[in-house]
Formats: sequence, structure tokens, C-alpha cells
Amino acid sequence: MRLSLTGILLTAVVSCFAQKKYTLSGSITDQATGEQLIGATVKILELPSVYTAANNYGYYVLLVPEGSYTVIITYVGFQTETLKVCLKEDQHLNISMTPGTEMKEVVVHAANADVGSPQMGLEKISMAQINAIPVMMGEKDILKTITLLPGIKSSGESNTGFYVRGGGSDQNLILLDEATVYNASHLYGFFSIFNTDAIKEISVLKGGIPAEYGGRLSSVVNVSMQEGNNQNFGVQGGIGLISSRLKLEGPLQKGKGSFMLSARRTYFDLFLKASADSSIRGSSLYFYDLNGKANYHFNDKNAVYISGYLGKDVLGLKDNFGTNWGNTTGTLRFNHLFSSRLFANTSLIYSNYKYTIESLSAASDFKATTKITDLNFKEDVQFTFDDAHTFKFGLNVLHHAITPGNISVSLSSVTTIEKRYGYESALYASDSWRPTSKLNLLYGLRLSSMLLRGPGTFKTYDAEGNSLTSDTYSSGANVKSYLNLEPRFSASYLLSTGSSLKLSYHRNTQNIHLLSNTNGGTPTDIYVMSSTNIKPEINDEISAGYFRSFRENNYEFSAELYYKQLQNQIDYKNGAELIANQDVESQLLYGSGRAYGLELFLKKKYGRFNGWLGYTLSKTERKFNEINDGNYFPASYDRRHDFSIAGIYKFNKSWTFSATFLYGTGNAVTYPTGKYNVGGLTTFSYSARNGYRMPATHRLDIGATLEGKAHRKYHSSWTFGVYNVYGNDNPYAITFRDSETLPNTTEAVQTSIFPDPMPSVTWNFKF
Amino acid sequence: MHLFHRQNLSILINRSKLTVCCIAVALLAAACDKVVDLDLETGTDQLVIEGNLTDENGLQYVKLSKSTAFANTNTYAAVSGAIVTLTDDSNKTYDLQETVAGTYVMEGYAGISGHTYTLQVGVEGKTYTAASSLPQKIWIEALAAKNRSIANTNNQQEITVSYHDPSVTVNQYNFLMYVNGVQVKSIFAYNDQLNDGNYITATLMQDDIDILSGDTVIVEMQCVDQAMYTYWHTLMQQDESNGTGVSSADPPNNISPTALGYFSAHTSERKVIIVP
Repeated sequence: MRLSLTGILLTAVVSCFAQKKYTLSGSITDQATGEQLIGATVKILELPSVYTAANNYGYYVLLVPEGSYTVIITYVGFQTETLKVCLKEDQHLNISMTPGTEMKEVVVHAANADVGSPQMGLEKISMAQINAIPVMMGEKDILKTITLLPGIKSSGESNTGFYVRGGGSDQNLILLDEATVYNASHLYGFFSIFNTDAIKEISVLKGGIPAEYGGRLSSVVNVSMQEGNNQNFGVQGGIGLISSRLKLEGPLQKGKGSFMLSARRTYFDLFLKASADSSIRGSSLYFYDLNGKANYHFNDKNAVYISGYLGKDVLGLKDNFGTNWGNTTGTLRFNHLFSSRLFANTSLIYSNYKYTIESLSAASDFKATTKITDLNFKEDVQFTFDDAHTFKFGLNVLHHAITPGNISVSLSSVTTIEKRYGYESALYASDSWRPTSKLNLLYGLRLSSMLLRGPGTFKTYDAEGNSLTSDTYSSGANVKSYLNLEPRFSASYLLSTGSSLKLSYHRNTQNIHLLSNTNGGTPTDIYVMSSTNIKPEINDEISAGYFRSFRENNYEFSAELYYKQLQNQIDYKNGAELIANQDVESQLLYGSGRAYGLELFLKKKYGRFNGWLGYTLSKTERKFNEINDGNYFPASYDRRHDFSIAGIYKFNKSWTFSATFLYGTGNAVTYPTGKYNVGGLTTFSYSARNGYRMPATHRLDIGATLEGKAHRKYHSSWTFGVYNVYGNDNPYAITFRDSETLPNTTEAVQTSIFPDPMPSVTWNFKF
Repeated sequence: MHLFHRQNLSILINRSKLTVCCIAVALLAAACDKVVDLDLETGTDQLVIEGNLTDENGLQYVKLSKSTAFANTNTYAAVSGAIVTLTDDSNKTYDLQETVAGTYVMEGYAGISGHTYTLQVGVEGKTYTAASSLPQKIWIEALAAKNRSIANTNNQQEITVSYHDPSVTVNQYNFLMYVNGVQVKSIFAYNDQLNDGNYITATLMQDDIDILSGDTVIVEMQCVDQAMYTYWHTLMQQDESNGTGVSSADPPNNISPTALGYFSAHTSERKVIIVP
């Protein structure tokens, strides 16, 4: 009896192993446009532990035993698809989903794949939500909207700069179709360079960064451009308060390939002509963005994508000076399926950021230019080994060329700060492993290298900034190299079908550093590579979290704790000269940092009413021997409390209302503690760095969208908004000066840039 | 003609940022400035040493005072009874006499270019030392007025100063400006890093006092050493960043042990222009 039972068990085990598994794979697309849906979830109803998400190229693969199954595909903003599949061999199944949100309040959704995924710190906002959320002047902005999420802080009032979990604004890797964007802002940070018309998807990794990403310490912001409708031609656009937009898209060959072209330009210039100030009247002030993308699918196995971005800000003050800056990116990608289990992507990427300031005065003649140009080759491979293991591996070779400053004055003298060249390379491998149906692991290694190369003269400096050694290298000679091994690990354990615990550790390094002693978006930002003086920045981060979905997966709750330790951080000496300085590395201080916090997030994903509530409790500190007697001090963007609500309510077929509210502790700042008089001027004395707080910031914004009557060929809508509804005077800066009213005294003055409610209106059309 | 300074570049960048803010705000809203009450530490009053030694034969003085809390009036207690001496390169020491409380002077003395001077202040049981080199003298070639280039609503003028920067040597300049006898609350510290050896016309950009036709403007040019340039330049940067950038801190100076202020050996030349 006992023997036979063992026999049965044995047979069962053997038959289980012997049972042949087949792949079910393909791409997931939007039925209406043919756009690939990144991150759409594919599940098998009968096998709760079998599910996956489409990768960055919209490709999914599942390994399933022979049998008949119900496949459920879900994606936010799309109707859930349910398909019956009879699997007897490897099957290629392309799935197209129908856009539309359900009007019913509660809909049964498949269990949440995010809860079971070992990935932590991943935030996504759908474009539908971004389009509904009110923003300043009606310019939809993905970067401003992500700062409403816990752990991501805006660098200032209506500014697109952001800090993630206590990291600097240069520690965010911002990718537009895989190309690095160095300055993601227009007009000194008031607007981001991402024209929402052209954007398909944005995701932010604020922790648990997997091995395929590297080069920045704090976050990865992954922005994907739309591919264009491969079914029908379309034109859409909008006319707003400050800018107009126009997008063209259509099939190159129906169902096989498509293109998208999108443009946006502001028209501040028109208003300038009305100014009473003669110097403003003849001036220029505008920015524009051009996005383009095309793709072609040769067959189910091969596809090619080409995309590009060009944006520029132009600001010229008549007879005075002109300045312009902008990014250019280009990406050529080739997707190939060696087999249903082996997916490869090859990318060739170009990225450039350039800044110029020149005199427009007849009496003088100077022009200063800084730029950074990257050429990047990237190979990423995804291999589905079996139903428990998915491997990813790849390599990346990135060449930087940096012109820190090229200054010509008249015809006679040109001052050139030496150009710098270097390679950042990386090799990585990771395994997504599901040892049991409850435990998911994602672990990997990234080997990153930095190689600084000649030509040029490279100096080392002592603590006072005097040059110690000076060595000249010829073209192509190796000046300095660094090699770093970066372990990445995350795990999730399912407590029940709708709840999990997650844990992650990762080390990141950064070899390109932004030098800027202003808060956020100055276009003169100077980039330097790791060198004999500057060591790679290192971040070790651990995080732990509890994730839960409930009410039929309509709600999602998460609590994440993080702690990060930063090494080789950069600050500046008093009076540092960063612009056009050959010896800029002599102006730097090196120290460490730490940041920790708790992030709570409650999200309602579906239904007529959706939105989220976020709260962050955090502390961010820096430590430099030369500052604050070597003690820890709060980083300027240290924010103890940060709270945000975003709500979107679809009232009826015509009207959608939205509102956001945010509250944040003020920035840490240094205020004077005393004053004295030297050189005939009142001068202030200071104590501890960042020992004071600016007043807290809070603001309510509201918006409404009115959909026009549906025409057969034509559709239009109005978007209305009010920024800072109750007119709170949020502090932009606090300055100190001799009093203008009371002689012989001093006063503190708070500047608020948008103290009054600011309405906006935009008209959008599509046909 | 070279009108270009790195300092002007950073000013332009700051101004352009402000211009954008102003325009954006003027079109759609109104920025507001309001005086706010802040609860600032009172701290302990610190010793302030302000020592000047010029190349002009006459009265050289050192002022000793105490800093005061931000909330107090701008009156600074004089520090009396100090022993103040000046030593030159050849180890010759001069005593400075306290005439008015806190002001220590020596008469009929002129510093010489190329010489290094050491100031010693003995006060409250401590001895403070500061050394400064008196640089080569550069003369003002011309002062001129032109229409203000930014935010000009009322034909405001701005003053340019021209001088010939000598090549090879590193030179630093500090300018002071007075409009109808009132000192402009701005710091103008320049060096020759991007225009070494050129004939330079620098615009003294400021928005403290509107300069109009008929005003009398005095410009004092000082050639200062590296340490004093860093001192003035740091204050200038903090002033220009308008509270949005550079972290404020006491500027590095040449006094040891730590005290506020400076000792500056510099050349001095004043020129007057009546704005046409």
C-alpha cells in the first residue's frame, strides 16, 4: 500500500517533468493604432502562477504545458481581453487590445501582476491620466506629473527638475527611446521637453534598478515615443495659451509599418511685441520640439525602428545678448526573434546637448558654447530558459565627447577649455527566477567601466585648489580608468494572491557628473566625467515593501522603505567658478551622503473615479569635511513631509474633472544669523549650512475636459485649468537686504512667482 | 574693444533667467515680493576686521567692530583698545593709533606695488594675522555711460569702465561705484582669466540705483590680490544668485584665526563722470 502510494507519487512527479511545455508568444498592440503596449500583462486563468508582462518592445513570452487555456490580457486604459487557446505546439499569438475605460464602477480584473513581480520602486502613470491632470498654463507635462508620486520631488515651483529618493537632479537617467536626455527642460525648467502628443509611455524606476540600467545613481525615467498609427492616417493638434501642437501619423504599409511626426512651438514672442519696454519689444523668446518616429515590421521576427527628437530654446534680448540651447537625440533599433524564446534588440543611439550664449550688442562680440555628444551602441538579449528562469544580458559601449567651454571674444582671442573624451561601457546579466509559485527573484550583475582618454592636459589639485601634477596625453591615450561591479537583487514573496512582501538591494555607479551651483535647470550646466580628481559616484540602496491589491484589483496600496548610502558626492568651494574654467575640477569638494524614507501610496486604477494618494516621510543628508565642520547637514532638497493627491472623475460622456493637491516641507536653506559692514556694504554672516527651512509649499490645481460631440471623422475637446486655485504665495526664494522702508535696518524678502490663481484653456482636435 | 567678462557671463545667465521669469509672469500672473518675518538665531557677535592699505599717500585705516543679530539695527559696536600693527616686506613695523573708537589709523603712508604687508591685531586676548600683497597698478583709461541694456524703461544709463589689462600677469580688480555720493550696493569683482592682456571695457551692471542724465558717478578702481578677489567674488556670487543658487556662507578670507572681514592691500584710483 505504502509502496504503491510512493509509486503513484513518483509517476505523478515524472509525468510532471515529462510534460512538454510550449511557448505562447507574440506582441501586444493597440487595435486602433497598432502601437505596441509596453508592460501589458498576460495571464493564464487556469494557472495562477503563470503570467508575464510585455517587454519594452511589446513582446511577451510564456511557457505553458500542453492544454486548453483562457488567456487574460490587461492594460490600464484598455478593455481586458480574454482569449481561448489550445496549445499543442509553440504558438505565436499577436494580441490587439481595444482602448477604453469601463464606465462601470467596479469591474473584475485579473490578479495584479505587479504585486507578484520582484520589481520594486516602479511607477507608471498612463498617458490618459497625464492628459487629464491639471498643469500650469495647460501644458501637459510628464515630468511635472511624476513629481506628484511618492519619492519623487519637484526641484521648485512649476519646475521640471526632480529629485528621486534624496538623489541629485543629475542622478536621474532620463531616456527618450533609449537616448540620454541631458537637459529635459525648456525655459529654465518651466516646461519639460516631452510633448505629450508624441509620448506613448513613461515609467520611473526609483529603486530596485535592474541590471540592464546603469550610469546614474537615483532613477531611470524611461520615456517611449509613439510609433504612429499603422492602420489609418490621422492628424491631431491643439492650440493652447502658450503653445500649439500638431501631430501627423499613419501607416507606411498598413499593419506593417507606420510613422509619427509631432511638433510643438510656443508663441511668447507675440506677447513681447506688446511690451512697453523697448528692450523687450525687439526680443525673442520661444522654444520648439520636433519628434519623429517610424517603424517597419518585416515579419513576426524582424522589426526596425528609427526615432529622433530635436528641441531648442531661443532667448534673445535686443542689442544685448542671445542664448539658445537644446537637445538632439536619434535612435535606430533593430528587434530580432531568434526563436520564440530568444529576443534581441540592437540599438545605435546619438545624443547631443548644446548651449550657446552670444552678444547681440554692436559694441562687443563674444560667443560661448558648451556641448556634450554621446554615441552609444547597445545590445540587449532576453532568453526565456524555462517557466522558472528568464535571462537578460547585454552590453553597452557609450562614447562621450564634452566641450566644456569654447569662448570667442572678437576676432582676436578664443579661449577654449580643453575637450574631454571618454568611454562608458557595461556588461550585464540577470535572471528572473521563480523558484516557487510564491517566490520571485530578480538578480543580476552589471560590470561598468569608465575610461577617460586623451588628448589633453590633465591636472591633479591639492585641497587649496593648487595644481599638483600636470600631465599631457596624446589622442587616444588612456588617462584614467575605473571598473565597478554592481550587484542587483530583488525578491518578492506572495502572501496571498493580492499581497506581497518585497526586498531589494542594488549598487549603482555614475561616471558623468553635472556641475551646477544653481537649483535646477540652468542651461549652462557643465558635465564632467570621472577623472584623476573625480571618482565614480556610488549608491548602495536597500528597500523593503509591502504591496497589496484589493477590491477586485481596482485598488493598489504600497508601502516602501528605503535607505541609501552615497559615496563620492560633489559640492563646491565657496566662490567656485564653474563657467569657462580650465581648472574647474579644482573648485570641487568631495563627500558622502545618506537618505532614507517611507513612501505610502494608494492608487485607484480603474473606474469613473481614479487617481492616487501619496505620502513620503524622508530625510536626505550630505557630509563634506569642508562644510559644517564635517558634520552631516540636510541637502537643500531634503523634504521631511511630502503629500499629494490626484483625482480624475469622469462625470459623463462630455465632462471629465480633475484636481491635484500637494504639500511639501520647505527646502533646507542657509539664512544669515548676523550682519556686519565691510567695504561700505551690509554683509551677512552665516552659521550651519542649510540650517533653516523655507516655508512649506502647498497648492491646489483643478482641471476640466469637455469632449466635443462625436463626429464621424472629426473630434475636438477643450481643456480648462486653474493653477494655484486659492492663490497661495509659495516661496520661490528668500533674500536679505537693507530695508527699503525703515532706514538702518535689514529685512527678509520672499519672492513668489505664481502667487495668483492662473487660468488656462486649450483646444484640441483630431481627425 | 573687449566687453566680455566671465563675471558678466554669469550675470547675463542669471539675468536671462530672471527675464524669462519676468516675462512669463508679466504675461500670465504677477510675481510678488513680500517682506517676511523669520525667526533667525541671534548667535554670538563676532569680531570684524576691515583693513585697507592703499598705494595713495595718506590715511591708512583698520576698523574693528562686532557683528550684530539680523533683527537689530545696522549699528555695529566698535572694538576699542586693540593693538594694531602693520609690517612691511623689510620687517619694518608700524603702530596704528585708535583715533575714533574702533578705527585705527596711520598717516602719511603709502603701500608700494609688489610688496606684501602683514596686519596684526591683538584684541580680547587673541592675536589675529592677515597678509596681503599690493598688486601692480592699472589705471582707468575711460569712464562712459550708455543706455542700460536690460529692463530699460526710463532711459536708465549704465557705466562702463575701460582699462588695459597687462598680459602675462594675473590681474584682479574690484570696483566701487557712487551715484551722487551714495554707494551702489553691488560688488564688481573681475579677473582677467578670459581676457588677459586686452583693452577691456567692463559694464558695471547693477539695479540698485537708477542712473539718469545729469547724475554724478564716481568709480573707484582697486587692483587686488588673489585672496581678496576670491573674497569679493564670493560675496558677488551670493548676491547675484538671488537666493536660488549658491549656498550662502562666510567668504574665505586672509585672516587667521577665524574672524569676519578682510585685510586688503590694493591700488586705488577714482574717476568721475557726469552722465550726459
